[in-house]
Amino acid sequence: MSASPDHVTDRSGAVAVLAGLPSMGPRRLRLVLMHHEPGDALDRLASGRPLHQMVQRCGDPATLAALRDQARSASVDRARTACERHGVRVLLHGDDLYPEPLRLDPQAPAALFAVGDLDALAARRAGIVGTRNATAAGIATAHELGHDLAELGVSVVSGLARGIDGAAHRGARAADGPGRAVAVVANGADVAYPKVHRDLWSWVCADGLLLSEWPPGVTPDPWKFPLRNRILAALCEVLVVVESRERGGSLITARHAIDRDVEVMVVPGSPRSRASEGTNQLLVDGATPVTSVADVAGMLGLDHRRAGRSPYDGRPPLTEAETAALEACGPEPATLGMVSDLVGQPLIDVALTLARLEQQGRLVESGGWFEPAGSRLEPG
Amino acid sequence: MIATIAAATILGARGHPVTVEVHVSKGLPGFTMLGLPDESCREARDRVRAAVMSSGFAWPDRKITVNLAPPHYRKVGSGLDVAIAVGVLVALEVIAPDAVERLAFAGELGLDGSIRRVPGVAPMVGVRPDVDWVVPAESVAEARVAGRALVRPVDRLDRLVEALNGVAAWPEFDRIASVVAEPDVPDLADVKGQPLARLGLEVAAAGGHHLLFVGPPGAGKTMLARRLPGLLPDLDRAHALQTTMVHSAAGVVLPPGGLVTRPPFRAPHHTSSVGSLVGGGSHQMRPGEISLSHGGILFLDEMGQFAPKVLDGLREALESGEIMVGRVEQVRVAMPAQFQLVGATNPCPCGGGGAPSECECDERGRTRYLGRLSGPLLDRFDLRIAVQRPDVDELLGGRPGESTADVAARVLAARTRAIERNGTLNAALDDRGLNEFAPLQPDADTMIRTEIERGRLTGRGYHRVRRVARTLADLAGHHERPIGVEHIAGALSMRARVGASAVAA
Repeated sequence: MSASPDHVTDRSGAVAVLAGLPSMGPRRLRLVLMHHEPGDALDRLASGRPLHQMVQRCGDPATLAALRDQARSASVDRARTACERHGVRVLLHGDDLYPEPLRLDPQAPAALFAVGDLDALAARRAGIVGTRNATAAGIATAHELGHDLAELGVSVVSGLARGIDGAAHRGARAADGPGRAVAVVANGADVAYPKVHRDLWSWVCADGLLLSEWPPGVTPDPWKFPLRNRILAALCEVLVVVESRERGGSLITARHAIDRDVEVMVVPGSPRSRASEGTNQLLVDGATPVTSVADVAGMLGLDHRRAGRSPYDGRPPLTEAETAALEACGPEPATLGMVSDLVGQPLIDVALTLARLEQQGRLVESGGWFEPAGSRLEPG
Repeated sequence: MIATIAAATILGARGHPVTVEVHVSKGLPGFTMLGLPDESCREARDRVRAAVMSSGFAWPDRKITVNLAPPHYRKVGSGLDVAIAVGVLVALEVIAPDAVERLAFAGELGLDGSIRRVPGVAPMVGVRPDVDWVVPAESVAEARVAGRALVRPVDRLDRLVEALNGVAAWPEFDRIASVVAEPDVPDLADVKGQPLARLGLEVAAAGGHHLLFVGPPGAGKTMLARRLPGLLPDLDRAHALQTTMVHSAAGVVLPPGGLVTRPPFRAPHHTSSVGSLVGGGSHQMRPGEISLSHGGILFLDEMGQFAPKVLDGLREALESGEIMVGRVEQVRVAMPAQFQLVGATNPCPCGGGGAPSECECDERGRTRYLGRLSGPLLDRFDLRIAVQRPDVDELLGGRPGESTADVAARVLAARTRAIERNGTLNAALDDRGLNEFAPLQPDADTMIRTEIERGRLTGRGYHRVRRVARTLADLAGHHERPIGVEHIAGALSMRARVGASAVAA
């Protein structure tokens, strides 16, 4: 078991200050902490004494001057209180508590700020990531993956973004199993981002593990997200990309995973769906397809047989008209008018069928488009 | 010598009687106008002088004073020219005073003595039905709309004086009308595909519901909206008169018969100012677009791009059916504004390419974009229809849809039934009216209950869905029966969610 968060020492406070300086950045922080004790580095910065020549050489004088200014107005006490208030522990590279999977990573963060239980990293770990603009089916797939992997005791690693990321952790939350949630975020642990995931954020902090290379008080800037993805990739044993566009953060994560020999798995999607363009390209490039949870479990070497039980479905069986309408809505979404054309029924009748299907949770409507609500994975 | 001539000016969409008093006396030669003429009205001095002289009368070297009574509001425009000229000629004893006693005059003078049309002849005539009116020949159809008064068209000042003096008969004009033919309303048969949007138009026409189209550029929102007036029946007599008055006051070209019988369609651009939409502006209080669409359709394309102040200005009119425009130093003027609102908006800033996962925008951008339409305004739309770009097959090979005439026949039947049953169109049904005239069959009730329980339908949304379902049932000829589940489902599919498109896991 790890130490409790009130062990935030002056040393940790100094790290939090250093990591939070706007002109510092992960690479310079690594350099600074390689050559100095945190307290010493902060003293030197604040008093104007020179740092180690490697640090001095790496960075133009203006940046160093800015760093000194920022260090002068910072307070170790304040940083330490902020960490204590939000239950943030400071893990330095080389500490005993520093996450094992990151120790040998070439781009490992010099310091990590953690909220929650570090034991979550001791279990098997699978990453589930994907686009923020996901389809309903993508959301359902991520949800199912998160749920079933957590049931198998796998820790679900993700980034708490909108769309796929959030759905994977929601799935893990809905599971009864021992699997935990690990979230790697791109801002300080004091403020939940994005706001819509406030509930998930606090659940992860309480029940799982939330990691960031940024101390409390640091805001989520766009450039921090790709950086965060390297940590996320390094923490996974398997990375599943559920949906991604032709360019997207999850492809960066996949790239980092490939660099680290982490197996990248991909949920295949319709070639005509924009949300699957990036993932299908990954498949072309040789990623392993995921058609059921068993594929992921098998990759982790887990026994995934679940006694062949099919989940109970209390919904009434589909009528002929409903089956036809459901088929017309997939794999690409369709509008009411399109379904009416495809099945050759009057608009009002089709509207009734679709409304029934939607109320049963088989379809999802957004902006006039209907798409199948079910996960894309095969059962069991 | 003094003369008193009856005339009228326009304030808002109404005529106001004006008495033109002319006094000619000895003194320093000059021409003075009293009674709050504005700049355009004061210019009458020079027009009248030139017109009188070029009509062959001598201009006196005397002091002429013209008073426009009552003096407490501004008189705008050139419509008093003829009255002032006649007043001067009476005061000069060119015309006998009793020849003008039972007459009122409207019209602008050209420097050559011609009499030209002015906006607002219909409401001017309407406000003084007790006297006979002398109007510009071009405005005769418009003037006769107002009814009871005898209308005498004239085209030149000298002919007018001859007629007044009994030297010549009143001029006759055979069938004077503006050359503008009634604009062709585009036919619904031109619309390929788009079954839901077509049904939406039919429902909007049959129930009088306000309608919002949500869809990407190129989906045909404007094209669809322009086809709505064709589905509506002719205006009834009262609305036709009111609309004609407003159009006349605003100087909009009227149809050849003078009376506006078809519902107007107005589509102001999204850069329109509050004044141009609501009315007001000059001292004349010109009717705005919302009054010009009285009895017809007000179409706001790119609704989110209108300034929030402009959209807020709509709300009063939507509630009360008229708009009050006031100015500090003037009376408040009420103008009619009962219109059916048709809005169109993109679903998001990028315009949306189609299916939900195709959009470039993040949720926040989307919410902010549609957030510009305020909640209370969105609440007014019973129908919110998502439209998509038709695909290539539909565009090129699609079978032609039903024609406007066919749909309009169904619409008329449904409207008649609804009015026989409710006394109003379905859009005007309130809570009590809905309970009385729009009861639900048990499975319809279950479906709507499920929607509410799932948090997808609010109290207001509930009423909207019932109103639309009532109209759908009326169109299907089920006007006597409680509303069935298929019509509730139909109504539910006509309320595209605008704003936060919640993607729940």
